[in-house]
Amino acid sequence: MGKWLDERLALSRLYKKFFRKMFPVHHSFFLGEITLFSFVILVLTGIFLSINFEPSIRLVQVGAKKLPAAYASVQFIDSLPFGQVIRSMHHWAASVFIAAAFLHMIRILLTGAYKKPREVNWIIGLLLLSFAVVAAFTGYSLPFDAFSATATKVGYEIAASIPVIGTWLAQLFFGGTFPTEHSIPRLTAIHMIWLPLIIGMLIGAHVLIMFLQKHTQPKYAEKIAPGKILGVPFWPQQALIMGVLFAVLVAILALVAGLFNANPIEHFGPPGPSTPNVKPDWYFLWLFGFLKMIPSAWKFTVFGVFVGPEFIGVLIPTLLILFGFVFPLLQPSKRKLRYVELPSQHPVRTATVIAVLSFFIAATLAAYKNGLGLSTGVLWLIVLGGPLVVGFLSYAVLRAIYPAPEPAQAPPEADASPGD
Amino acid sequence: MPNDDERTGAPEGERLEDDARAEQADADEQERLIQRRRFLQASVGVTVALTVTGLSALTVTGSLKPIAKITPQQEPPASGDLLVHAEDQTKVVQVSDVQKDTKQILCYPKNPKTGVVKSGTDNNLVLLSRFDASQLGPDTAPHAAEGVVGYSAVCTHLCCTVSDWDSKNGWFLCPCHHSQFNPREDGKVMAGPAPRPLPLLPLAYSNGQLTVAGGFLTSIGCS
Repeated sequence: MGKWLDERLALSRLYKKFFRKMFPVHHSFFLGEITLFSFVILVLTGIFLSINFEPSIRLVQVGAKKLPAAYASVQFIDSLPFGQVIRSMHHWAASVFIAAAFLHMIRILLTGAYKKPREVNWIIGLLLLSFAVVAAFTGYSLPFDAFSATATKVGYEIAASIPVIGTWLAQLFFGGTFPTEHSIPRLTAIHMIWLPLIIGMLIGAHVLIMFLQKHTQPKYAEKIAPGKILGVPFWPQQALIMGVLFAVLVAILALVAGLFNANPIEHFGPPGPSTPNVKPDWYFLWLFGFLKMIPSAWKFTVFGVFVGPEFIGVLIPTLLILFGFVFPLLQPSKRKLRYVELPSQHPVRTATVIAVLSFFIAATLAAYKNGLGLSTGVLWLIVLGGPLVVGFLSYAVLRAIYPAPEPAQAPPEADASPGD
Repeated sequence: MPNDDERTGAPEGERLEDDARAEQADADEQERLIQRRRFLQASVGVTVALTVTGLSALTVTGSLKPIAKITPQQEPPASGDLLVHAEDQTKVVQVSDVQKDTKQILCYPKNPKTGVVKSGTDNNLVLLSRFDASQLGPDTAPHAAEGVVGYSAVCTHLCCTVSDWDSKNGWFLCPCHHSQFNPREDGKVMAGPAPRPLPLLPLAYSNGQLTVAGGFLTSIGCS
C-alpha cells in the first residue's frame, strides 16, 4: 500500500522534504502549536454547532414564548447530549486561541525572531491574531440573547463611529443598522465560512514559511554545534509530542467546559428593551477600558466631519496595532537571524515589551473603573505613567542582573580591562 | 576591388535605395496608423469592459447595504401619542405609574388612532422619570407634564439603552460604559464618555392622560 501510493504521489520525497524538519526543543516553542490545536478544536466543535444553528432573528413559537430563531436553536443545541459542553468548549477554545497566539507573539518579540528573514511571517501572525479577534467577536453575536445583542450593538456603533465611511462600512458588515433581519445571517456567513477560510489559509502560509525558513535555533545550539540545526525531527518524535499536547489540550478544554458553562443564554434571556450590565470577554477589556476612560469632551469637527470620543477610543489601539505590523520593517539588517536572541541581552527591547504588556493590563484595569472607584484622571495616570515606570524599572533590573555585554562579541582587549 | 564595383553601380543602387526608403516610410506610416487604430480600439474595449464590470461591482456592493424601510412600528414619536410600558405593551402609562425620584421606566409611544405600538426600533425607547416641579431646570420644566420628564433611552455614546439608575445622585446611568445623565437638567452629561445630552421628549397632560407633545428635541442615536 505504502509503495503503491509512493509510486504515484512521491510520498518519500514529501517525507524527506517536510517530515524530517527539525523542531528545536524548548517549551516556549509550543505556544504556536497550542494556537494551531485550538484552531483545530474550534473547527471540530464549530462543525457540530453550525449544523444545529439557525441564523435568523425571526420569532418562533417555543412553548408559550416567542423567541428569536437563533436563540431558540442555541437552546436546542444546549438540549442535545453534550451540546452545552461542546458549545462551552468552542468558547473556551477561542479564548485559548487568542491567549496562545498572543503569548506566541510575545515570545517572538522577546527573542527577536521577527527580524530578517521572518518579517513576512510576523505580519501574517499579526493578521492571524486580528482575524481571530474578529472571529471571536462575530461568534459572540450569534446566540442573539440580550448579552450578545448588546455587545454586538456596541461593536456596530464603534464601527459606525469611524468618520465618513463608518456608517456605510458598519451597515455592510452587520447587514444594516444592527439588529436587522439581515444581521445574523451575514454575521453567520462571516463567522462560519469566510473567517475560518481566511484564518485556515493564513495558518497554512504561516506554517509553510516557517518550514522553509526554519525555526530560529535556541541559543544553546550555537555553543553545542555551531552552524548545524539542532532539534528533533517532525516524524516521529515531534509528531508524538504534538499528539500528546493535542490530547492534553482537548482534555483540559473539556474539563473547563464541563465546569464553566460559557455564555448561558437563559441567564440574560432574549433581547429586551433594557440593556443588561455587560462586560466583554477578557481580550476586549483593554479596549473597553479605553472607551470608559475617554472623557466626553474629546470630540471635534473637521471639515464638517464629526469625530467623537468613541472613535478616539478605538483610534489609539488601532494605531498601536498598525505600528505592530510595520515595526520589523523599520529595522533593516543585512544579516539573517539564525539563533534566538536572549531577552537578558537585549534589555531595552525586553523592557519595552514588559512596558507594553503593563499598558494592556492597566487599560484592562480601567474597564473596572466603577468597581475600583478611581477617577478618570487617576486612570489616565496609571495607563500612561504605569508602563513608563514599569519599563524603566525593568530596564534597571535587567541591567543590574545582567551587567556585562555578551562576552563572545566583546573584543579581546575588553577581557583584560578592569572595569569589565 | 569590391569598393570599385560598388561605386560603378552607385546611381542605380541609390535610386533603388530611395524607392526602398520611401516604401519603408509608407509602410511605417501605415504600421503607425494601424497601431494607433488598434490602440484606440483596445482603449475603447478596455474602457467599456471596466465600466460594465465596475458598475456591476458597485451595484452588487451597494445591494449589500440593505435598504432601510420605515414601518408604522418604526415611526418616530409624534404629538398626541400615548406611551405604553416596554415590558407590557398593553398597559398605557399613567402619571401615577411614574414614581418620584426613583428608577426611570422604559416605554414606547403608541399611535392612538391606529393602535400601533411603535416598538419596531430601539430609537423609539423613551425613559420616564418624575420629580417635583421645583427641581426641574428652566429648559426642562416647559417640556415636563405633572413633573414627568421624557428622554430618549438611546445613550449618545454607543447606543446602549440607558436603563440603570444612579440612586446616589439621582441620575440616569448607562450600564455599558457608565455615562451618567441628569434628568432634571435636559439630560445633561454628568459623567462618563457620552458626547451629548440625552434628547428630550416633550410631554403633555390633558384630560387626565399623559401624552407625547412632539418629537424628540434633538437628534437621537449615538455619535
